[in-house]
Amino acid sequence: MTASSTSLRRTDDHWVGGFTAMACPCEVLVDDCTEAEAAAIVQLASQEAWRVERKFSRYRHDSVVHEINASDGRGIDVDEETARLLDFGAQLTRASEGAFDLTSGVLRKAWTFDGGNAVPAPETVTALLAHVGWHRVRWERPRLTLEPGMQIDFGGIGKEYAVDRALQLVAQSHPGVGVVVNFGGDLAIGGHRRADRAWRVGIESASAAGRAARTVALDAGALATSGDSRRFVVKDGTRYSHILDARTGWPVKDAPRSVTVHAGTCTEAGTWSTLASLKGAQARQLLEGSGKTFWLQ
Amino acid sequence: MNGKDLASLLATATCALLGTSSPARAEGEKPWSLDTALLLYKESDSRVQDVSAAIGATRRFADDRVLGLNLTADTLTGASPSGAIALDRPQTFTSPSGKATYTTVGGRIPLDDTFKDTRFAGSASWTQPMGRLYTVSGGLSASYEYDYRHFGANASLSRDFDRRNRTVSLSAAWSKDDIDPVGGPPLPLSQMLDVGATGNKAGSKSKDVLDAVLSVAQVVGHDTVVRFNYAYSRSSGYLNDPYKILSVVDPVTGDTSTRTPAATGGPDGVYVFESRPDSRTKQSFYGEVKHDFDGRVLTASYRYMSDDWGIGSHTVDARFRWPLGGGYVEPHARWYTQTAADFYRVSLVRGQALPQYASADFRLGEFDAVTLGLKYGHPLASGNEWSVRLEGYQQTGSVPSGQLIGNQARRDVTPDLTAVFLQFGYRFGL
Repeated sequence: MTASSTSLRRTDDHWVGGFTAMACPCEVLVDDCTEAEAAAIVQLASQEAWRVERKFSRYRHDSVVHEINASDGRGIDVDEETARLLDFGAQLTRASEGAFDLTSGVLRKAWTFDGGNAVPAPETVTALLAHVGWHRVRWERPRLTLEPGMQIDFGGIGKEYAVDRALQLVAQSHPGVGVVVNFGGDLAIGGHRRADRAWRVGIESASAAGRAARTVALDAGALATSGDSRRFVVKDGTRYSHILDARTGWPVKDAPRSVTVHAGTCTEAGTWSTLASLKGAQARQLLEGSGKTFWLQ
Repeated sequence: MNGKDLASLLATATCALLGTSSPARAEGEKPWSLDTALLLYKESDSRVQDVSAAIGATRRFADDRVLGLNLTADTLTGASPSGAIALDRPQTFTSPSGKATYTTVGGRIPLDDTFKDTRFAGSASWTQPMGRLYTVSGGLSASYEYDYRHFGANASLSRDFDRRNRTVSLSAAWSKDDIDPVGGPPLPLSQMLDVGATGNKAGSKSKDVLDAVLSVAQVVGHDTVVRFNYAYSRSSGYLNDPYKILSVVDPVTGDTSTRTPAATGGPDGVYVFESRPDSRTKQSFYGEVKHDFDGRVLTASYRYMSDDWGIGSHTVDARFRWPLGGGYVEPHARWYTQTAADFYRVSLVRGQALPQYASADFRLGEFDAVTLGLKYGHPLASGNEWSVRLEGYQQTGSVPSGQLIGNQARRDVTPDLTAVFLQFGYRFGL
């Protein structure tokens, strides 16, 4: 499969569309309908995934994020969609008392979560922390000004946002059709299945990437998972999660290896799973107070 | 930040990001759905004419909870058969109020043209899921006419089985109706009196009705739904129609016995008010198939009803909806037949002992009826829909020849009926 192609196959009672976006395998399940309609829905969802990826990828030179990260202290006027994502990130920083931060991406210069054993020197992390923190950012809609050396990264929320956006577009042009939009395990359900059947979706196993730890039956809402099944480092017997606390620059201690949350939208589910992971050992306590359904591994 | 504040902050932030006003509701879906209809019903020969306006409102809340409200206003005018037989000469009757007389022409079935009514009816219901598989609902209904008041309550419980492919529901309804006819309800089988005489009138009456329905709906494959209902209904109390009479006739000629009215006026023949049992138990079986032929939907049903008054009926109904020019057309055909109640009589015979129960109401006699109609519905881009429906109704009654005496055999004894319905509907969201 190339970067911009989609596949479509039929199972006994629904269609499965597949493609790759945001470095993840993506799937769109469509309840029984004509092949043309299923193909149109998969096309719509994949175009939206690729659009969000192009616009907010920090690796692409034509992205908004690249423009911001290369601004070197200059103010950049951003479009409405980017402004909404910045507002949202700022709210998450508030909700997590600083543990989540859109500017924490520069810490990746010190941390490489590839399953190996490279843990940075504490002074390297401390030096990078001088370029981390939403309080150092001037954000006056629509103008964003970063201090030189700072960067922003929508990696923590972009995938869930893309899922909800894709589902919105599908619901607008194919109202009522039962659909699951699943981008790398973060998914949302739209419409209604015929005969009131529920979808069966897998929650990825924390210890074996790509294997479902369990399947759940869902007919509405969204699931998002925050975990370290692929991204972690092990040093001197300690497993460091890829979830970094933006205040310390170090991985959160005793975080569950995987947090999956069910909520009305994928974005909301994703914020709860991210905030819970950042709480470390108190993840369960936070989720129990949320009123959401959740699964910890 | 406590859990509640955090939850509300995250929900608000998510809605702002995704541009949705409420996370629970799909975009563009309006909370209220309103159904409005105007129905015109007209019987031939300037008999009953009904103009009715109805509005139904449905409000959907989160978690599949639904509030339903309905209001209807009706105006009925025109004449209806009183139950008296036709004679070659004109006949004079005391009007139901007991304050005047009216005279009908000879050679035709006498109609009581004092018939006139305005009715207001309303109902409210609430439906909600209970647990994952159960749905409960409850409702109240009431109606008001100047001589009739109805109050009812109902409840139902349904459960889904077989991955929601089968739904079984049990519902029950109770109602209490108060009947307060013009001039008071006449005593059963009492004679129609002269103007001003009230010796045969009683105080207001009431009846209770209890209904129970057991229903099973099953999805078969992707495009067929079948439904079976068993219904039980028991009415008790005053079940007469206070305005219906029977002619008392000569055993040889079959003509109505004559009498001489008082100077103030009164009937010129002998007529008695009808008498029905004070309870009625009905049972019915109903089967329905709905099948989707690639967008064209056929709904066909059959009902068998039987009661302890001796009435048995069969109803076959079919409608077929197919898409046409941005909308749909739906032809409709219905055939109905019923046997007569055991106590149905064309007339009573002078000199013979009065039976305990007797009625000449043609609705309790033997008849067949056919309805043919066509509906056109047109959905608009906004999701609203207008529709128009035109239907014709033809009813033909028959009486066993053994019941006809003398001259009755050469006269019209069963009032046949032809009627037309025209309905305009508009459904919209709010």
